[in-house]
Parts: sequence; C-alpha cells; structure tokens
Amino acid sequence: MLRGKAKAPAPPETTSNAPVTVAALEAVFEGCYDFESRDVHIGGDIRRKARLCFIDGLVSGSDVAQQVIRPLTDPERFGAVTDTKAVISMLLGGSVYVYTAKSRETLGELAGDLLNGFCALLFDAERTAVTFEVKSPQRRSVEAPREEKVVKGAKDAFVETLKINTTLVRRKLRNTHLKIREFHLGRRADTSAALIYIDGFTNPSIVAEAERRLAGIKTEGALTSAVIEENIVDNPRSPFPQLISTERSDKFCMNLLEGRVGILVDGLPLGFLAPGTFSQFMKVPEDHAGHFLVASCLTLLRYFSVALTLLAPAFYVAVAMYHQEMIPTRLMQSMIEAKQQVPFPTAVEVIMMLLAFELLQEAGIRLPSPIGETVSIIGALIVGQSAVEASVVSPVVVVVIALAGIAGYTMPNQDMGSALRLCRFLLVAASIALGMFGVALGCAVLLYHLSSLESFGVPYMTPFAGGQGRHLSRALLRHSMTEKRDREPELKTEDGGEAKL
Amino acid sequence: MKKSLKKAARLLAAVLALCLTLTGCSRGLSIFSNYRRLEMVELVRTITVDGAEDGVNVAIYGTAGEKQEARMYQRTGPSIGVAMNELSLLPLGREAVLSHTEELLIGEDVARERLDEVLDYVERFSETRLDIGLLVVRDSAAWELVSGLAGEETPASDVLAGLSRSIDRVGQGYIFSCREIVTSLAQNGVALIQCVRGVQEEKLFENRGDLNLAPAGFAVARPDAIVDFLTEEETLGTMLLLGKYRSKNVDIPVDGAVLTLSVDSVKPEIKPVFSRDGALERVEIRLTLGANVVCMAGLTDLRQAETRHRAEDGLSQRFGDALTAAVKRGQAMGIDFLDLYGILSRREPLRMEDAVGKNWDTLFPGLPVEIAVESTLSRTYDIIDPPEISGREEGDPWEKLTGSLKDN
Repeated sequence: MLRGKAKAPAPPETTSNAPVTVAALEAVFEGCYDFESRDVHIGGDIRRKARLCFIDGLVSGSDVAQQVIRPLTDPERFGAVTDTKAVISMLLGGSVYVYTAKSRETLGELAGDLLNGFCALLFDAERTAVTFEVKSPQRRSVEAPREEKVVKGAKDAFVETLKINTTLVRRKLRNTHLKIREFHLGRRADTSAALIYIDGFTNPSIVAEAERRLAGIKTEGALTSAVIEENIVDNPRSPFPQLISTERSDKFCMNLLEGRVGILVDGLPLGFLAPGTFSQFMKVPEDHAGHFLVASCLTLLRYFSVALTLLAPAFYVAVAMYHQEMIPTRLMQSMIEAKQQVPFPTAVEVIMMLLAFELLQEAGIRLPSPIGETVSIIGALIVGQSAVEASVVSPVVVVVIALAGIAGYTMPNQDMGSALRLCRFLLVAASIALGMFGVALGCAVLLYHLSSLESFGVPYMTPFAGGQGRHLSRALLRHSMTEKRDREPELKTEDGGEAKL
Repeated sequence: MKKSLKKAARLLAAVLALCLTLTGCSRGLSIFSNYRRLEMVELVRTITVDGAEDGVNVAIYGTAGEKQEARMYQRTGPSIGVAMNELSLLPLGREAVLSHTEELLIGEDVARERLDEVLDYVERFSETRLDIGLLVVRDSAAWELVSGLAGEETPASDVLAGLSRSIDRVGQGYIFSCREIVTSLAQNGVALIQCVRGVQEEKLFENRGDLNLAPAGFAVARPDAIVDFLTEEETLGTMLLLGKYRSKNVDIPVDGAVLTLSVDSVKPEIKPVFSRDGALERVEIRLTLGANVVCMAGLTDLRQAETRHRAEDGLSQRFGDALTAAVKRGQAMGIDFLDLYGILSRREPLRMEDAVGKNWDTLFPGLPVEIAVESTLSRTYDIIDPPEISGREEGDPWEKLTGSLKDN
C-alpha cells in the first residue's frame, strides 16, 4: 500500500514486450498492495529458487499451496532435477496439479495472466515464467433474474463473471457453430468481453460490424453498460435504446437463434444483443412461455401503453387548456368543479405532478428496497391524496399522471421506459405551447427521429417503417409455435429467414 | 468571446425563446389564442333566442361545475351576434363556452323572421357545434319555457336534455340538428324543425319545474323563415316516410278488445311509375310495418288468422291515414318537405330527369300518389295457449277460459 503523499500509480504496461524478470515484474506492480511474491525452493532445495507471484484475492490461496507449491517443493518429484529448463518443462508437462499452465516470456503476457487470476513461477535465469490458472472461487452464483421477472421460464440470470455467463449460453446452445470471440476492452482496465454468434447462420456483415465496433471502443475501462452501449450504437445521442440488454440467459439465447449477435462483458451481469429494433423492446421472453393468444394481446397492450404513457399528460394539457370542446360534457363539468379550488394553472399542475412522480421514482430506486417501497407508498397514497385534499392539484391530473406512469411500467425494457418518460416531458411542453397542434408536431418529430434510427444497419422501426409491411403481424402478435414463421427479414440470416419446424 | 461561450449563449437564448412558448399560465404571451383557464369557464348547454322590440333576446344557461348552481344570463341586442358578444364575458371574468351546447331553442317569432340569422350564427361561429338540436317553441317565449323546466336543484339544461331525448325515444317527434336542417335547406330548399311547447302538468318529479316539454309537431321551414306547422298526424306520416320514426306503442281496437302494439320496423318504399311515353304517371308508396303485441285489454283470439288480419288492417289503416295526410299537406302547400323528388331521382335518375326535368314544383301538387301499407303482427301467442305439458287436461283451453268467464 502506498503511504505518504498520494500519488497515482502508473498503470501496468500489460502490452510490454520486455523480457520476464522478477525485478521488472515487481517494478510493474510497485505500489499494488495486493501483489504478492515469495521464493519457493524447488524440490525442497534451498539453493534452487523460483519466484512465486500472484495477486492476492484473484487467486485461491489454498489452490496455490496445494496445487503448485506442494508438488513443486516435493523432493521426490523435483529433488533430482537440477536443470531449470527441465523444471520448466516438467511444470508445463503436468507435474503440478493445475489444468492450465502457460509459458510466458514477455512481461505483458505475464502481467495479463496475473491480472486474470493466474499465479506465476518466475525463473530469472531463463527469463521465463510459467503461469497456472488458480482463480479464486469467490464469485456470485447464478440466481434468478432480479429486474426481469420470470414466471414460466429459466431462472438462471447472468452474473458478473464472463466465464460463467458464456457457460450459461453454451449450455443452452450446444452447437459447435456457436462462436465466442474474445475481446479486451479498456486501455487501463483491460476488461474481457465476448462476442457471441452462430456461425453460418447470423448475417456475417452484422458480425463483422460488431467486431469492428467492439475493437474500436476507446475507453479507460468497460465497467458500466453505458460504455458498451454508447460506444457501439449507431446514434448515441438518441435516448432510445439501440442495444437489447438482458440479464436473462434464455432471452439472450433466443435472440441468438433469431440471428442477432450477443455481447457479454466481464463484470457486467448483463448480455447485450444487436441489432435492437423497436418491436423487440416490446417483447418479453414470457411471450414465448404462455399461450400465443394471450401473448399477442399482451403485446398489443404494451403498444397501447406506449401511446398512453407518452400522450396521456400531453393530451390532457391540450384539451384542458385549449380544446375544451373535446371533453365530454359531464367530465368537463366535474373537471371544472375540481379545478375551482386549485390555485395553479393546468400547465403548472401537470409539470409539478410529473416532477413529483419522477422524484418519487428516483427516491424509490436509490433507497434500500424496504424503505424505497415505503417511500413509493407514502408518495403515491399519502402525498397524492393530501395534495388533492389540499387543492394543490386536481384529482384528474393525479389520475392522468398515475395512468401515464403505470403504463410506462409495462415497458419490458427500462431504457425504453426512461426514453419514453423523457419524451413525455417534451410532448407536454409542446402541448402547453401549441395545444393539440403541439402534440401532433411533437409526435411527428418523434416518429421522424425513430424512423431515422438504425441499429447495425437495420432500421430501428422495422417492420413499421423501413421494413417489409407484410411482417407487421410478427411485430404486433405472437404466432403459434406450430405455424411456419419467418424471422425478421432485416436480419438477413444465412438460412433465408425461414424458421424450419 | 470564446467559441464555447458563444455556443452556450446561443443555447441559452434558444431555451429562453422556448420558455416563451410555455405560456399556459398567461394568455398574453400565448402563441395559441385559444387558451382558457378551466376554472374560469362557464359551460353553456342551452341557448334560447326570442324576439325583442329592438332585436333579439338571447339567453344562455350555464354551470361552472357539477355542484355549482346553474345560472341564466340574458342580453338583448340588435342581432344574435351582438347579444352573444355581450354574453361572452360574464360576471367575475367568467368566460362562456358554447362548444358544449346541446339545444338551441328559438321562439316562434324568431323562427318566422330570423331563422336564417340563427342558422348562420351557428354555422359560422367556430365554437358552436353543428349537431346542436334546434327546436321551435310555440305559444311562449323560449327562455320562459326553459326557465320553467328547471327545478330547485336541477338545472334547466339538464331537464331539457332529458326531455328532448325522450321526444326522440318515444317516437313523438325527431329533433333535427342544425347540420341536418342546413343541409336540407341547401339541397331541397326546405327543412323540418321540431316544435315544442310548455304544458302545465302535475310534477312528476320533485326536481322539475312547473312546466313540462311537449312535442308540437314539425315546422316546415324555407331558408329564410318558417312557413307552416304540421299537425300531429302529418308529423307522424312525415316521420314514417323519412325513416325517423322510433318505436311507439299504438292502440288498435279489434273485436271489442284493444291491442297495444309496438311498431318496431318501418320500411318505406317509394317508386315512380312512368307511362309508355315516359311521363311520370304516379308515385307508389309502399310501407311495410312490423309490430309486436305488447298487451291486450279485453279478450280476442289472436290465434285466429282472421282476428290477426283485422288487427293488421287496423294498424295499416292508422299509419296509412297519417301517410296520406302528410303527402296531401305537402301537395296542398306545394312544398316537397318529404323530399319525394330526391328519393325518386335517386331510384330512377335518368327517367326522372327526362320525365320531370325542372318541372317538379308544378307537377308535384297534382301528382297522383298511391299509398299502400302492409302490416305484420308478431308475438301473437296467447297466455292461455301454453306449450305442451304432459298430463294436462284435454280440451281447448281457450274454450274453457271463455266458457268459465261467460259462466261467471
């Protein structure tokens, strides 16, 4: 640990081609308190030493002791071997009980191994190191997804460890054509990532484009999902998600089978799928678990929810402020009645309630779960009701904002829900300024924006715009599994887009 | 100034400009002039227009909320536009909103002299809907009738809306909307308007006023004014031909009993008959009625075909008379308010053009019109003609019942 004046340590030059020496390695890891190194006597002979190095915490101490140190110091095994090259040869040949052993002659490779849970035996004289994979087993086990609830489906969600995640995928798609390409992201963090696709099926141009974009990511470290999303999507300025992110491994695999490419990143319990189209964000894996008629109705309900969450507050503002003739007479009478005691204009009321809703939601998310739920209940029930009783807002506004909010929660994808919330504010502003014309104008701009988006060369609004109209039912409904069905033609899978039954 | 600062200043200016459009709280800066504060709105549901010495008297009936007291505001002006303009700004800065108006009632004097002005105002004013029902009030001022309908707690407009809906529902008349009237005037040069009058009745409900609304037949209107009024029978005949008739219960005497029939289906068929040389010889009107037996006072055997036929003939006679009266009245007035020419032209456009051309007005008063009415009675089963039940006594139940009644 560094003491005294704080000084940012220089990052290890993991790409260095310098020869392997103990001194050089210790210089690389200078100031890293978790870096451990010690001498080991080969065959128990104090005259013959090797330097054992590892990063504490990344490796399993007992594995190092039992599987590396114990056989290495065994006089019966290594006592008679005096030549260092022979020792190295024996180590690589399986004389210690570790299934992965690599010979490293450059400092970059060696440091990379150490950072990935290997321990290393350094032989200064030979300028060589032998590394053994003895990763620490301390990792989160596979659990049911927390954000994407499962009722009738697989309950193995992705975890933070890349290898576990690739295993989950491999277990579901036991196919030699399933390719997992490794990438390293982050100039300093060197995070492992995997590009996953089905060779001979997924459109090669999408695979090539994904490879190009992943390779082109320039970042210090890929520690958050935004690093991946914003660096590889076509239009990072758009609030709408262009990559499907999921914590469910079954959803991930289902999309691979549709012809998408998947990206898994070490440290992120999420899988990303590309291309992401609007219709895909309206679907949940549960649609394929339930009856197709029910699933179709629920999909249509989600589309209705999009309209409701986007337009309800803006529509209310427009009709209450400018187009009172559109309100049924009885409703208009009760709205006027409720508004008599409210001191704020409709515009202020609606914006105030929208902000309050966002505040409550933010508070609910940030606070620990039991307290968060309490805040939501207090906010929704007590504050809402009190606000109406105190004539701060009219009850219709509360109903409209609550309806819009609840409709927003039906979005299967949180990012899509957030984008719609943002657009909701803009549409309300447009309706305050121009009434129903503002709503229409705002919708036109929104549709223009959505129609101009592309994800990995696929139109975002396909099949509604930029795709083939005859596939419209595929987006809106879930066909029976016994029916012959087409894949999304825009994905241009190598089997021609026709799913074989 | 640095480039980034300039950019920030431009952005700030754009945001401020955008904020100017967020003027929902202030009318002065609003881009869209239609802005109204909901809490300052007075919802007008009924308008009355009556004649006055120096022009017209316009009254509006509005409420400022569900639980608020209903109010009537009245202004007199040289024209409807001027009077309405004065009414647009109400006490306490309230603003009258006419877009929810359901009925427009005009006095007989206004109907005779200023009908065109009333319709023109409704058509031109952007706020008034064209589907407002137009009613002519007979024998009293329109505002007096509407005010007399109101109860202590029930606004006049509520009572009026309920009563006017019931006029349609029970088949006593048909309230034409301004759109229908204007369209008819534009196409045929004649239109029909429902008339009503206030009648003093014993209060049926506590929340009613002293007056009740009673239908008073149709008025025949030319583009500028009302020409004449139709009787109740003529109105019935007109409704039958125009397809505006709603189910209504009719009493028909048959063999000493009285059958109450509900006429549920009315199908008029109107066709021209041409002579060999292509001249319009006559018009045939065939009316097919379908009626159900609602109830029967007295005893008659509906299972007998002859009895049923007599009942059907009675109904046909009743409706045939009404139809004949309407046609004859139109011919007598020389006004085709039944739009026979339009119906015949749609059926035989080329032959009608050749036979009539532009001479309909001269041909119509003397044109022979044959009217035939055919009725079919259903639901004629009898309560004493039960379905087969095992173990029941032998013999004709009808004979038994009538025999026992006679004995008693």
